[in-house]
Formats: sequence, structure tokens, C-alpha cells
Amino acid sequence: MTLQTVAAAESFIPRRARAEVTRRVFFYAVIALVALLFFVPFIYTLTTSFKTLPDAANVTFIPHPWTTSGWHTIWTQYDFKTYIKNSVFLAVVVTVCNIFLGGLGGYAFARLKFPGRELLFLLVLGTIMVPDQLRLIPVFVMLTNWHLIGNFSGYILINLVTATNLFFMRQYFLTIPKDFEEAAKLDGAGYFKTFWRIMLPLALPAISALVILQFQGTWNDFFWPLILFGQGNPAHYTIQLGLAELNFQYGVLWPEICAGSIIAILPILAIFLAFQRYFISGVVSAGVKG
Amino acid sequence: MLGARIREAGWGYGFVVVPIVVFGLFFVYPFGYALYISFFHWGILGKQSGGAGTFNYAKVIHDPVFHTAVKNVLEYTVGVVPLTMALGLSLALVINQKIHGRNFFRSAFYFPSIASSVAITTIALYIFNANGLFNHIIGSRTPWFQNAPTVMWAIVGLNSWTSAGTAMLYYLAALQSIPTDVYEAAAVDNTGAWRTFWKITFPLLRPAHFFILVVFGIGALKLFDQAFIVSNGLGGPNYSTYTPVFYIYRTAFTTFDFGLAASAGVVLFVIIFALTLVQRLTVGRQEAS
Repeated sequence: MTLQTVAAAESFIPRRARAEVTRRVFFYAVIALVALLFFVPFIYTLTTSFKTLPDAANVTFIPHPWTTSGWHTIWTQYDFKTYIKNSVFLAVVVTVCNIFLGGLGGYAFARLKFPGRELLFLLVLGTIMVPDQLRLIPVFVMLTNWHLIGNFSGYILINLVTATNLFFMRQYFLTIPKDFEEAAKLDGAGYFKTFWRIMLPLALPAISALVILQFQGTWNDFFWPLILFGQGNPAHYTIQLGLAELNFQYGVLWPEICAGSIIAILPILAIFLAFQRYFISGVVSAGVKG
Repeated sequence: MLGARIREAGWGYGFVVVPIVVFGLFFVYPFGYALYISFFHWGILGKQSGGAGTFNYAKVIHDPVFHTAVKNVLEYTVGVVPLTMALGLSLALVINQKIHGRNFFRSAFYFPSIASSVAITTIALYIFNANGLFNHIIGSRTPWFQNAPTVMWAIVGLNSWTSAGTAMLYYLAALQSIPTDVYEAAAVDNTGAWRTFWKITFPLLRPAHFFILVVFGIGALKLFDQAFIVSNGLGGPNYSTYTPVFYIYRTAFTTFDFGLAASAGVVLFVIIFALTLVQRLTVGRQEAS
């Protein structure tokens, strides 16, 4: 449509509707501009990762020439292979432990009766108040004494289960009708079998949300890996540590750095695109809770 | 019957024992242990004989570097929190309209909140470097992240962009809980959109404002990742990226003074806890009235 036809069409629209059309056009222009602000940094990073080093100094969105040398370098010279492997390993182990222990504990707090249950549950909730900055020194001293610094077991041990995950699983178990357990009991199933065969499968929606949020949390974690493996321990670097190191050591190798950033973001983008509603409802329920 | 109850309790303890041990060992015990360490001269080889009394606390409270760290993080907090809230609320108001591609825009605005802070900061370093995209657009040569007067404000800009999406989601939930008859009444009175927003919507969002203020305020006081990345882990130029958490990190892992670092951790915890209490109390009172 040319400007004239728009103007001609508009003259037939009543005044009020025309104001509405102008408002909507303006509205979409603004929102598109804002969306651009959110996309450009990522697109620019992606295209830069395919540039040559001299070309990375040019402010252009199309590489000239295209090259995969940045990707090749971080893969072969800077050992991003190892970093990815380490990050995936930690994220998977921590997530699985959190499902199992958070589910088991959450189930017991939701359904089993034992003396001191309320008191212990208060203790669980209280741990949410203890900030990492206060735990940092004592936990580091303890892990040092136990020779668990610089290897994965220390990291896994302190992240075996979080109070947030246990609380989340408990809240979900509370919503499941008791009929299922009673039926299992009649069939002679014990407590663990009821949990493992009946309750855990029923909690699949909660588990999916937990998997997504915990995987993202561990994959993105920078603080604890820095403390536990950051002291010159490159074989244990996670992707975030490796990217930070690349930044510090070779701060001008923009194609390599951009490729590394894309790798650090990509798995989370993929998970986010596939399971958006879990992220968004997770945030909103946290908001309602607070 | 009694046997069944004992059996149930036994299984109950069995199910919670590992989580309770983890929480006790890595949350509850460290809380006390941090206090203990803070009263000793504690180096890389562990506790030195003889207590330090309040030596570490006096040192932290009089350390000009810690003062700079606190000043930096307060400036940052005062900048980033209102900016994030304003951005988040604006995005929420846009997304709350009947528009095409609502879910798409909502996801696009939220994504930076869940992407790796290291990668986002790295990208920002590239875009805001002296010859980068941003300076190219505005016609400047300022190295925003390598320049003491600008670096904290550059992090303010970066993080309000990153976390605006989270604030947006909180505001969206709050906006959707406002009953529509309030707006119908305003429409009957022929109140303009701008006036409706300031007179009706904004005051009704008060619980959301306070919630976001508390959550983002506390988060801002713990600034670390971005300050660490932009300064190559050094806190420069000229201590301009030192934050209290950064101070704790450096004190512990470059000067290996664990006693001093632990006391700085306790001081930071007290500051955050006090602010939470103040905010909770004022929110409580305002909600009640």
C-alpha cells in the first residue's frame, strides 16, 4: 500500500476509528522497536562468530567473508568440548539428585506422619534465608578440610537437594488425592514402592518444571564453580568458567568470544523454546508465594 | 496399630534424612561457623591460635575499600531497581493489550532473564567497547565498561535490560488480577487512558511494586557476576567495580584472609536482613491501612 491509498482509505474511516488505527500502528511500531532491542544483541553476536578477526572490528551484520574459524578455534584450541561436557555432567547429576531427594523429602513432608515433622519442615524453609555470601567461607573451609575442592564431588554434594525444590515437590504432592496411595496400600505396597511407582509418576508435571529450572540454574551457575574449580583447574571448568577465562585471556578475539557466548546460551534457548510455560508459570508462582 | 505408626515414622525419617543432613551441614551449620570464623585470624592454613575478638569487624568497617564497595553497590541498586521496575511495568502494559503475537513478545522480553549472566555480560562487553556497535550508533568512543565513571552505570543499563523481563512477568500477573469492573467504571466516567493508569492501575499495583522492590533490591545488593566479568576479576579500574560480594571473594581468594572475608559476609547479611525487615514492616503497615 502506498501512502496515497492509505490516506484515501483513511478519509472514509470515521474520525474515532481513524484515531484507533493510528494508535495501533504507532503501538506496533513501538513494540517492534523494543523487540529489536532484545534481538539485535543476539543476532549481532551470532553473525560476529562467523567473522574473521579483522572483520569483527567493522560494525556490520553480514560477515565478509564468512568463516567458521572462530568456532573451530574454541573447539580445538580452547577446549570448549571439555567445558560443555563438564557443564552437562554437573547439570544432569544435580538435577537427578534434586528430583529424587526433593521428591522423597517432599513426599514425606506432605504425607507421612512422624514426630518433629513440622519443626524439621521449618528448618528446611529457614535455609532459604541463608545467603550464599554468608555460606561461602565456611563451606569452602569445610570442603577444603575434606579434600573436596577442585573436583566435582564437592559441587554435587552442596547441591544434592535445595529447599526450594523440596518445597515445590511437597506442594505438588499435597494436591494429589489420597485415593491413589490407599489403593496402593490395599495392594500391599510399602512406603518406598508407593512413592516410587505411584506418587513420583503422578508428579510428572512438577518434575518437568523442576528439571527445566534446575538444569538452567546449574548450567548458568558461575559463583560456586568459580569458588570450587576456579583456582587454576581448567580440566574442571564449566562452560561459564571457560567463557570467562576466554574473555580474560583473549579479550579481543571477538569471533571466538561470540561463538563461546552462543554455546553458553544455546542449550537454555532450546529448552526455553520447548518448555516456555514452565519458566513463565514458575516465575509467576514464585511471585504469588512471596 | 502402634506398630504401623512406628513403621510410618521410620520411613518418614528415612525419606527426609539425606535432605536434612544436606541442609544442616551446608546451610544451618555454616551460618554459625561463619560467625565463629569471623572472630579468628583465619588464613589458608586454617585457624591461628588465639582469638581475634572484634578485630576483623573493626577492620571491615574501617576499610576504605569496603566503603567503596558499599558505595558502589548502593549507587548501582538505586539506579538499577527503579529502572528495571519502570521497564518491566512498561513491557507488562504493552503485553497486557490485545495484540497479535503476545506470547512471542512476552518470551522475547523474558529470555535475557534466564540466559547465562556470563554470556550476556560478554556480549555487552563486545557491543559497548570503544569501537563497538553502541558507540558507532551514538557517535562516541567511550569504553563504557573500562572507564571508572561509567562502568557501574553501564552495568545498571545492562542488568535492567536483562531483568526487565522478570519484572514484566510479576507485573503481568498483578495486572491480570485487577478486576475489570474498575476499568469499566473509569470508562463510564470517560477518564483518559493516561489518567486511568496513574489514578487507578498504578496504585492498585502497590503489592507488586513492593514485592519487586524487595526481591530486586536484595538481588542488586549481591551484585557479583557482571562486576567480575567486566573487570577481568580484578574489580578495577580503580576499585570502581568492587561490590561487597566481590570484596568477600577477593579477601578470601587473593589475600586468603578468611576471618576478614567471613566478617564481611556477616556484615552484608546483616545489612540485607535489616533492609528486608524494614521493607516487610513498612509493606505490612501500608497493606493493613
